[in-house]
Amino acid sequence: MIKTKTVRVSLLALAALLVILEAAALILARAKPAAVADDADPKALAKIKAETDVLEKKIGALSPKSAFIVIDSARNALIMRTRDKELLTAVVSCGSGSILEEPGGKRTWIFDTPRGEFQVKSKVVDPTWIKPDWAFIEEGKEIPKKREERYETGVLGDYALGFGDGFFIHGTLYSRLLGRSVTHGCVRVGDKDLKAVYQAAAIGTKIYIF
Amino acid sequence: MRSRPAMAGWAFPALAVFAVLASSSSARGGDQRLFLENKLANEELALAKTPTLYFIVRLKSKKIALKSRGMTLEEWNIKSLHAWGDAPPLSALGLEKKSTLFPPKRTKIQPAASEEDAAAFELDALELKDMPSKFTLFLSGGIRVYIRPKAKGFFPRLGSFGHFLAWNVWVPLKNFSFKLRKKPFSAIDVKLEKKEDGQAIFWAFPDGIKGLVFPL
Repeated sequence: MIKTKTVRVSLLALAALLVILEAAALILARAKPAAVADDADPKALAKIKAETDVLEKKIGALSPKSAFIVIDSARNALIMRTRDKELLTAVVSCGSGSILEEPGGKRTWIFDTPRGEFQVKSKVVDPTWIKPDWAFIEEGKEIPKKREERYETGVLGDYALGFGDGFFIHGTLYSRLLGRSVTHGCVRVGDKDLKAVYQAAAIGTKIYIF
Repeated sequence: MRSRPAMAGWAFPALAVFAVLASSSSARGGDQRLFLENKLANEELALAKTPTLYFIVRLKSKKIALKSRGMTLEEWNIKSLHAWGDAPPLSALGLEKKSTLFPPKRTKIQPAASEEDAAAFELDALELKDMPSKFTLFLSGGIRVYIRPKAKGFFPRLGSFGHFLAWNVWVPLKNFSFKLRKKPFSAIDVKLEKKEDGQAIFWAFPDGIKGLVFPL
């Protein structure tokens, strides 16, 4: 009888302790405001306002003045635009995100389309694909020793725009797969849209990929 | 600010959002806004000068933006948000990791054994639909941003109730333990309108991306 009472009291005490702890935690956890300077001097405030306007203008000036390309790798969409308006939208194919390991485990490739800011570094008509090592490994073939054995024509479409590290915006033989993430990192575009992008983009045109 | 009607009877209903506190109705509210806008412009300029993508979470405006060179590449609306703990610092934060119960898995390509294998095509890609919509962003400075969509259907609502309990019981205790260890802690619970928005944020925010969380 006494034992049961002791257990009951102990449990109640423990529960009370937990409630107190939770209460203290809740009070402590209340969101605190951001610490900002407290200066109500109207002159100082006007100065801050003017400085903010200058900063915002500086930020605005960082965006490209001429046409640029935005690629949404999640939705497989390409938009060619200026600061004010869209010039062209296209359904594309971006990187599959798959992994390829070289037998023996020496090298690994992750087929992602890179993200960030890039620019058109090269423009090629009737591009020839110089197959990289991973293409041979993926096909289960031996990596050739001669460079000429890597050449493959007619697979990149009519045009290609290089944006560094072997990545290109190029055409495709698999137009039915446009809109799906199926590439090895390059951006595949349909024939008609590719021609328009090729014509509108110059060397140095900025590319933003996210 | 109450998060939802169910919380009306809560013993400590003072759950507030940094934004509301920072832009209090006092006469200084407008001044603070000017300071914050100035600080935001300063910090954003530093980020926009780099060629990398960055994000800005505006708590009061309830917007999450992915930006580059000052341009908004994508923007998501926040349906509701709640916060516990310290206000995030008004400086650039780095995404240390994304945590989710079922992380998306990359497919391993098996090198073709024969010419026929090489010719066979199998579409096995990591796409937006494979991304989780419920996850946590761990930012530098002990900041956690819990992202989740609005619950629709029985099981998501049940999960949402679990989240409600965890948010109101477990997270404050976690904050308490961090306080005892003198470590910074702040937690922001972000509810999005659509599942797809969460998936797009998971996709667009790679580890290491820098950004700002501002009470504006």
